[in-house]
Amino acid sequence: MNIPKIPVGQLFEHLINWLTDHAELFFDAVSGTVTAMLSGLEFVLLLPHPLLMIVFMSALAWWLASRNIALFSVLGLYLIYNMGYWTETMETLSLVLAAVLISLALGIPLGIWAAKKDLAERIIRPVLDVMQTLPAFVYLIPAVLFFKLGPVPGVIATMIFSLPPVVRLTNLGIRQVPEEIHEAAISFGSNPRQLLFKAELPVALPSIMAGVNQTIMLALSMVVISGMIGAGGLGNEVLKGITQLKIDLGFEAGISIVILAIYLDRVTQHLGQK
Amino acid sequence: MKLKHAVAGMMTAAAAAVLTGCNPDATDPAKEANLVYPNWAEGVAYTHLAKVVLEDKMGYEVEITAADVAPGYTAVAQGSQDAFMECWPALHKDYLDRYSDDLKSLGNVYEGTEVGLAVPAYVTIDTIAELQANAAKFDGKITGVDAGAGMMKTIENELFPAYGLTDIKLLASSGPAMTAALADAVKNEEWIVVTAWRPHWMFGRWDLKFLKQDADKPIWESGNLEIVGRADLEADKPELAQFLKNFFVTDAQISDLMVKIKDSDDDTLTAARQWMLENESTVEKWIPTAN
Repeated sequence: MNIPKIPVGQLFEHLINWLTDHAELFFDAVSGTVTAMLSGLEFVLLLPHPLLMIVFMSALAWWLASRNIALFSVLGLYLIYNMGYWTETMETLSLVLAAVLISLALGIPLGIWAAKKDLAERIIRPVLDVMQTLPAFVYLIPAVLFFKLGPVPGVIATMIFSLPPVVRLTNLGIRQVPEEIHEAAISFGSNPRQLLFKAELPVALPSIMAGVNQTIMLALSMVVISGMIGAGGLGNEVLKGITQLKIDLGFEAGISIVILAIYLDRVTQHLGQK
Repeated sequence: MKLKHAVAGMMTAAAAAVLTGCNPDATDPAKEANLVYPNWAEGVAYTHLAKVVLEDKMGYEVEITAADVAPGYTAVAQGSQDAFMECWPALHKDYLDRYSDDLKSLGNVYEGTEVGLAVPAYVTIDTIAELQANAAKFDGKITGVDAGAGMMKTIENELFPAYGLTDIKLLASSGPAMTAALADAVKNEEWIVVTAWRPHWMFGRWDLKFLKQDADKPIWESGNLEIVGRADLEADKPELAQFLKNFFVTDAQISDLMVKIKDSDDDTLTAARQWMLENESTVEKWIPTAN
């Protein structure tokens, strides 16, 4: 018995090569958009003096979350500034924000669509499974082929990894809207649009916000991996630390990531509860 | 309420910045250089040096990007980056073969690299031939680096059969894990054998020695570090290509530069600039003269 090997890997390789040859305009357009987003975010985040930015970010935490989280923000962010990783942290933050914004722009509509149409859900679900479980290292090279080195492929790789939870939880949130609310909205004469925006989305909001929160956390966990394709920021500092066994550098940059993660987690966690 | 206004203000500013894309640089494209380097101490050091020389002395706009080896070569072969700064011909054979049409060597940047198996100086064997008999003292393993690295294949496919090493296994890990294992072994004065190459900072930190090869079974030769450019770099940016060809550091120079960077409180670029100012005569030789 000699069963020929199914050329799964080759198929993917051909697909990638075909895409690099024929879809260049599309990738350039995506690349241009992401670059503009990134440089805009970076410009804004690095414009104020770090201390002013710390005050602003802490105030935001107080306003959106609580006083304790604001206190943590002041101390944590000041520690980052004090250790000398402010620029890298803001670079990382803009990378994460860009990836998350794109994820939400694509993910929430997809989630709504999946909640409305069972067929859509059946198609989207396995795709999400692949996106979440295929080791991120595998698509680093395609990302470089399509989007060159730098923060852009970093944003794309991060987006692929962090998109699924917001789709899943938006889908789930809308599907769990109680039937009574549905019926009430319809009996008051809502059209499908009003039903979605006035009834379903508000009820599903906590679930959607949980998805947003998960998306942000996953995006942060990609920071170091995207450092391998030249995305810079804190990921690069961590890699520099570990490839040269500079434990201090690795830890300082790592702790900066943790502080950023806790900040974003706590602040976004409270968004849905407001 | 004021806070909400502040937030709204920031949002508007962000939106405006995002829309305009803020990209004010409009330099001559021939005076731009995009260099990729892997995050290894020696490459970090001289790549930053190349950046300050190109910028301060030759009026270039230089973007240096730290990336892993495979994406680094891919980006240069694709033409989106100008040069990969730290090519180890022996270790990176796989990439060089794969992209042979799209890459072109720009000559050596360092000469006298060594590759092989290394042990701490207190280990009492000196040659690879002694490994088999002492396998148990090394716990039956060679601590290696990344599974895909060229030297890992060489060890399994060439070294093992040539020296009849059957009692010792090659353990794939990663560069950082290998050096961490080495650090731990040295601290406890345990026997360890690792895959090693020089220049590497581990030789500066610990007293290590390469295990000698038998004269009739040479596996590794001494080699050089090269800079590899994209195939059409010389046609596009002849001056940059010439600079990278001229660019060369001796062992003493790279060690001095690495120490400067390590000891400096300033960032790597500032330390590299300092080194440049102290070594004007060397630096001048790299700059192509217009003719």
